[in-house]
Amino acid sequence: MNDVLPLLLLYCLHRFNGERSLSAVYHLLSGKKSAQTLQDSKWFQLEHLFGVGKDISMHELEQTVHELVAKEWLIPVAERSYTLTKRGIEQLEQWLPSARFFNHLNGFLYHSVDALFWYRLSLVVQTISNIIHKRPFEPIHRHEATLAWVKRYLFSQKRSISELAQALYQELHALFSSLPEEEATIATLRFTSFERIGWTNEQLSLFLQKDPLYIQLTFQHILHYMMKRAEREPLAFPILHDFVKDLVSPVSLTLSAQKTYEWLCKGKTIEEIAHIRGLKRSTIEDHIVEIAANVHEFSIEPFVDSKTKQRVLEEAKRLKTRQLKKIRDAVGDHVSYFEIRLVLAKVGEIGAS
Amino acid sequence: MHLEQLLEKTFGYRSFRLGQKEIIEDVVSGRDVLAMLPTGGGKSLCYQLPGYILSGSVLIVSPLVSLMEDQVQQLRKRGEKRVIALNSFLPDDLKKAALANLRRFRFIYASPEILQSPNWLHALKKVGISLFVVDEAHCISQWGHDFRPDFLRLGEIRKQLGHPPCLALTATATPEVVNDVVETLQLTNVRKHIYPVDRPNIAIKVECVPSVDEKLERLFHYVKTLQGPGIIYVSSRQWAEAIARKLQTEGIEHVAYYHGGMDPEQRMLVQQQFLCDQLQIVCCTNAFGMGVNKENIRYVIHFHLPGQMEAYVQEIGRAGRDGKNSIAILLYTHGDEDMVQSLIEAELLSEEQIRLFVEHMTFSHIELSLQRLRTMLGFSDIQWRMLQYMFEKERASASAPEEMKVNIFQMTEERRRWKRNKLQQMRAWLFCSSCRREQIVSYFDQHLAQKPEKCCDICGFPLDEYGLKRHDQTAWTFCGWEEELKRMFF
Repeated sequence: MNDVLPLLLLYCLHRFNGERSLSAVYHLLSGKKSAQTLQDSKWFQLEHLFGVGKDISMHELEQTVHELVAKEWLIPVAERSYTLTKRGIEQLEQWLPSARFFNHLNGFLYHSVDALFWYRLSLVVQTISNIIHKRPFEPIHRHEATLAWVKRYLFSQKRSISELAQALYQELHALFSSLPEEEATIATLRFTSFERIGWTNEQLSLFLQKDPLYIQLTFQHILHYMMKRAEREPLAFPILHDFVKDLVSPVSLTLSAQKTYEWLCKGKTIEEIAHIRGLKRSTIEDHIVEIAANVHEFSIEPFVDSKTKQRVLEEAKRLKTRQLKKIRDAVGDHVSYFEIRLVLAKVGEIGAS
Repeated sequence: MHLEQLLEKTFGYRSFRLGQKEIIEDVVSGRDVLAMLPTGGGKSLCYQLPGYILSGSVLIVSPLVSLMEDQVQQLRKRGEKRVIALNSFLPDDLKKAALANLRRFRFIYASPEILQSPNWLHALKKVGISLFVVDEAHCISQWGHDFRPDFLRLGEIRKQLGHPPCLALTATATPEVVNDVVETLQLTNVRKHIYPVDRPNIAIKVECVPSVDEKLERLFHYVKTLQGPGIIYVSSRQWAEAIARKLQTEGIEHVAYYHGGMDPEQRMLVQQQFLCDQLQIVCCTNAFGMGVNKENIRYVIHFHLPGQMEAYVQEIGRAGRDGKNSIAILLYTHGDEDMVQSLIEAELLSEEQIRLFVEHMTFSHIELSLQRLRTMLGFSDIQWRMLQYMFEKERASASAPEEMKVNIFQMTEERRRWKRNKLQQMRAWLFCSSCRREQIVSYFDQHLAQKPEKCCDICGFPLDEYGLKRHDQTAWTFCGWEEELKRMFF
């Protein structure tokens, strides 16, 4: 599989359905923490790809689009927006089965913490492996917070180092056994042990004859899979559970939206919050849309009456669109953009779950 | 206890290397010291050993976070626990703990920007610093090859810390840079220990080839026939990747590339693989090398010429730290200097950038964070550092905006001339017909006491001694992930 970027791009553009530009793809993959990008990822059900391609540049995306247009898999529909042609869709469907990394990728939940999980895990493995073989070593990460964490973790252990090694080995073995051979190989070779410094993505891609981007996404997919199992099955994976438990917060909001949420919970109105925080009304509205999209139990009732909500939903369905302008033209301009966005944010959530 | 006994007890070395003992004696007696030791000459020992003699903490200012971290790791690996690196990456809880009890650290490494913070400065004042060390001190001088404007304030900071004795360390400084360092750090009654820059165990060869294709052929030839490990220096990130790929396609194994654009984890993996002899060759930009303490590097090949002699001497100095014979080869094709020249130009500020920046800083009513402004006007790291330095200087002398623009532009022009001149000197060295080693030492205003037998291509030396001797690498074979996973834990 050597066409990972084209696949990724076709996949995103297909979901965006010509309603977002190439920049939206870029912001999604780079994990831009803006209200717009966060909502887009919900609406178009692309949350799992949020922030999974931080190294992909706008330039690379443009170049790939150019190639795909030349192949007639994509056609431009508006300024920098594209939809898939019939051949493009066929190609995407043909590729999808080989892209196993879509299975467990969960960028929305893990993109900002998967690196920390990996730092902890790989540093613990390196430390244990070297202690058991009585070798002095240099930590493979220079991340001070992780160094301190690992030190604390190892000192807090009541069991011996060989018991810990045995137990961690069993957890990893159980997890890797549930993965295809290739994925277990990638995961194993990325580790640093007493006798071997871990391989880079580049080296794995040479070894397995795969696109480096494929290796990178597959590795993230493996990490996300491990984190999910560790999070949900503390009894089966007690050690890995220790590694993730403080990393994953139940709700993912931008810091500023988090503050707005706290004021809302205290019963403040939009105006009051804007005043208290010295922000524009529109900024607070952005936050509320973000909260609506992310917090399951958050009700939009106080901001949109149920009749308006119904109307917006009907029109969105009838027009098969999520473009605000089109919907507003249909429902009439007594309905504000804020109300439309709120409704769509909630629907996005329903659609995704 | 004698210094030698302490050396053996704490560091496990039997004897001092050239100059170390004399420098340490002066440092311990409380003198200001400026020491220039050849690359790989064991500079860090000159403050680490005094750290076990002096009563207070040793503060070490270092220009690069990665360099700092490397040294901290090396100390920790030796068993020293009372060491900390203060930089902006330090996590909050550790920061708090350190601030509360900084005195407990024997060695405190700090970046210059940390020393700008009143909190840290206050904490350091309370510690009682017994030795103020400036590593890579040539960074102080704007005529040093790696100028860091942040370093200029170190003199002032030292004063605020109660004027502790100072040790300034560098490997490559011309006499003008040495004078700058002494003046800026306000070293009084300074003892200068200037040791030869020459590294007699590194033979020097320059080879001119007519085309880039032939240059690649020569590179393949050397890489296939020379005893490794080796480093190949190129001028850009793209070249580092391209050369690594080409070598791999040639069937050469254990090659990787390294440059500043890679993500930190991948960079660290490559560095560690090289240190552990898992890799034989690293193709890299000048981002690789500082802080890489590898003893057995047998060759350094320059696929592109560096912009100045100081950089060249630093880079070839990574070879042969174990004292064994090593070789430095520079491959040159006509026109290479143009590429270096354009890299130099790209690092300098353009007239347009200066105009926009000054106008924005003086006229604009829009509050923009400096970071935003920087991105908007598209400054590189080096440009930004330089611009801030010049702007501060102008603002201090209260120049009017027009005047400011003209002055900054003039300063930039002066830098351009200076850099061109440096490149010109480098180029002249390539084409000189007298001993290359003699030329290098006279560039640093020194004399060559004794010519080694294997000196340079002008003096002539046989290459066969540097040829591939043995394949001592036991080939690692992959026996499946289960086997590999088991090996790690049992």
